[in-house]
Amino acid sequence: MVSARVEGHSRTSRLLLIIKLAWRNLWRNRLRTGIMLACMVFGLMGVVTMMGFMTGMYANMIDNAISWQTSHLQISQRHYLQDPDINYVITDPNPIVTALSDSSAVKGFSSRVLVDGMVASARASRGVKIVGVDPEAEAVISPIDSHMSDGSWLTLEGRKPIVVSAKTASRLKLMLGSKVVLTFTNTNKDVTGAAFRVQGIFASPSSEFDESHVYVRDEDLRAAAGVQGIHQIAVLLNSADNFERSQVEQIKAALQAVSDPADEVRDWPQIQPLLATLIGQMATSNAVVLVVFVSAMGFGIINIMLMAVFERTREFGVLMAVGMEKGQIFALIVSESALLGAVGALLGIVASSVLMAVLQSTGISLGNMAAGLGAFGVDTMLYPQVSLATYQWVFVAVMVVSVLAAMYPARQILKQRPVQAMSEKH
Amino acid sequence: MSIAINKLTKTYHADSEFPVHAVQNVDLEINSGEFVAVMGPSGSGKTTLLNLIGGIDTPSSGSVMIDGKDIAELNERQLIGFRRDHVGFIFQDYSLLPVLTALENVEFVMQLQGLSSAECRRRATELLTKVGLAAQMHKVPAKLSGGQQQRVAVARALAPRPRFVMADEPTANLDAQSTAELLDIMQQLNSEEGTTFIFSTHDQRVIKRAKRVIVFEDGQLKQDQCQ
Ligand SMILES: Nc1ncnc2c1ncn2[C@@H]1O[C@H](COP(=O)(O)OP(=O)(O)O)[C@@H](O)[C@H]1O
Ligand SMILES: [Mg+2]
Repeated sequence: MVSARVEGHSRTSRLLLIIKLAWRNLWRNRLRTGIMLACMVFGLMGVVTMMGFMTGMYANMIDNAISWQTSHLQISQRHYLQDPDINYVITDPNPIVTALSDSSAVKGFSSRVLVDGMVASARASRGVKIVGVDPEAEAVISPIDSHMSDGSWLTLEGRKPIVVSAKTASRLKLMLGSKVVLTFTNTNKDVTGAAFRVQGIFASPSSEFDESHVYVRDEDLRAAAGVQGIHQIAVLLNSADNFERSQVEQIKAALQAVSDPADEVRDWPQIQPLLATLIGQMATSNAVVLVVFVSAMGFGIINIMLMAVFERTREFGVLMAVGMEKGQIFALIVSESALLGAVGALLGIVASSVLMAVLQSTGISLGNMAAGLGAFGVDTMLYPQVSLATYQWVFVAVMVVSVLAAMYPARQILKQRPVQAMSEKH
Repeated sequence: MSIAINKLTKTYHADSEFPVHAVQNVDLEINSGEFVAVMGPSGSGKTTLLNLIGGIDTPSSGSVMIDGKDIAELNERQLIGFRRDHVGFIFQDYSLLPVLTALENVEFVMQLQGLSSAECRRRATELLTKVGLAAQMHKVPAKLSGGQQQRVAVARALAPRPRFVMADEPTANLDAQSTAELLDIMQQLNSEEGTTFIFSTHDQRVIKRAKRVIVFEDGQLKQDQCQ
């Protein structure tokens, strides 16, 4: 027992000795180590920036889609999901509404009447989804009220107001106060119409969404179409990390439990599966960037470790002569490389996080590209997003590669016997 | 403790067509506590002999017996342990670790042996004081003169209390005064600690101080006399 403890203790102190020696050896050639560290720091800044903007862009796309289009959760009747017939309203909204009102995780929810139809001006007409909402409830879950380029969001007073997108307004040559006619099939399958007056013009980051949605008050649409219930309840949660689905799934399950079996609760990845796959895509592209970088760095480390090891061949011979075991010499070389990697990774991460802090406050303007990216629902200003987990991955990847990169140089030295190593001239 | 060398031969087949017989058929016995000089011209096989005895080179034939045991029978791990625990090495170029201070260099092998840090510190300080470097203990080798570095090397070699010390031309790079000082120290440690010293040299001043002189020529033992 006691001797085992003493043996264990001296093994630790021998390891510390090796690490101390490795640390000092690392700084023997300050210039060479410094250049390698500079490479690692600038390389990591580039990699982190790239990953940060990639993540920022994907996150922006997802956040925009969630806030404008899907919300976190939607409840509809199952039949409506298969066939959006005006008569397929939610079977029993009451328990759902009660549950939503009671939940502290819910920021807000909006009950919507949805009708597919045509919007027509004197000049032209287009097919759109007509969204009938309670203006106040909708404003809580959607950013639309703060994205009015002209006029104002729906109000409770006034006769039959409608909010259209800037795109629709220009296609149909509409201005504030212009009259439009909405045409659709009512609950009796008769084609009917109603006139509305443009109260506001909005613009979302997605051109596709803009082209296909108009907003009116739910009571106006209900009256015109003869609908009794609601087609959809959209729910926004308080603080959902959109890359982390567990919270959303938890609340989804709770809501489904209180709903009528004929009604279905879906979370945003179900509503827009393509959007959910973006998260996987983002992880893949970030991994590719990281792997390419650490591979390049690995070859750099192999190179400087080979130099460092071969110029010290005689010294290793002496170490073997005085009784250092091969395993200890191997550990010495690997420690040198690992310490180089650790210092480079830490400095790189510190420098990157400073750069990220700056870019997060300034953002990067996409300028001309913005119009093209509108199709993907991306804002014109992008902010990089780098999670703690990303930094951890960067550190782990750099460390693993540093250790692997030391293997080849270390084996070259260990092939030699002490006399051979010592007879090497330096 | 004794070293018994039997028909020891080392032949190199380097890149030349002719094999080099660095050590040929040498019989030799060295007893505990001796202070032996191996002399001979350059290329006569002194270094090879010391390397064979110290277990950092392996003979082509013949044997090196330490206390009746052939070191060729040790496996690699045992051989490393044998060198670490029983042999001290002193090299012509001092071969101290440049990144460690004098004190750390002396402590190093003891730390590899797993001695407690207090014990390492005590022994290293004691030895450095004996070799007259009490004031220079915390300097790195580059800040010491050649003579001082070689004295650190002597302290390092003796630190793990080896049974014998192999010194390959330890004074070749030293001036007359440093040489005299180093020999004083080695002789003093030889008598105080009872450590066997075997050193190679072609320096007459060093040979005069040895108790026993072995003369080498072309890898063969030509003369072996006590003085
Ligand atoms: N590693 C080696 N490979 C080939 N020849 C060697 C090697 N080491 C020494 N020799 C040769 O063996 C002979 C003895 O060398 P050495 O023992 O170094 O002599 P000394 O130390 O007396 O100068 C020399 O001829 C030398 O060239
Ligand atoms: Mg020699």
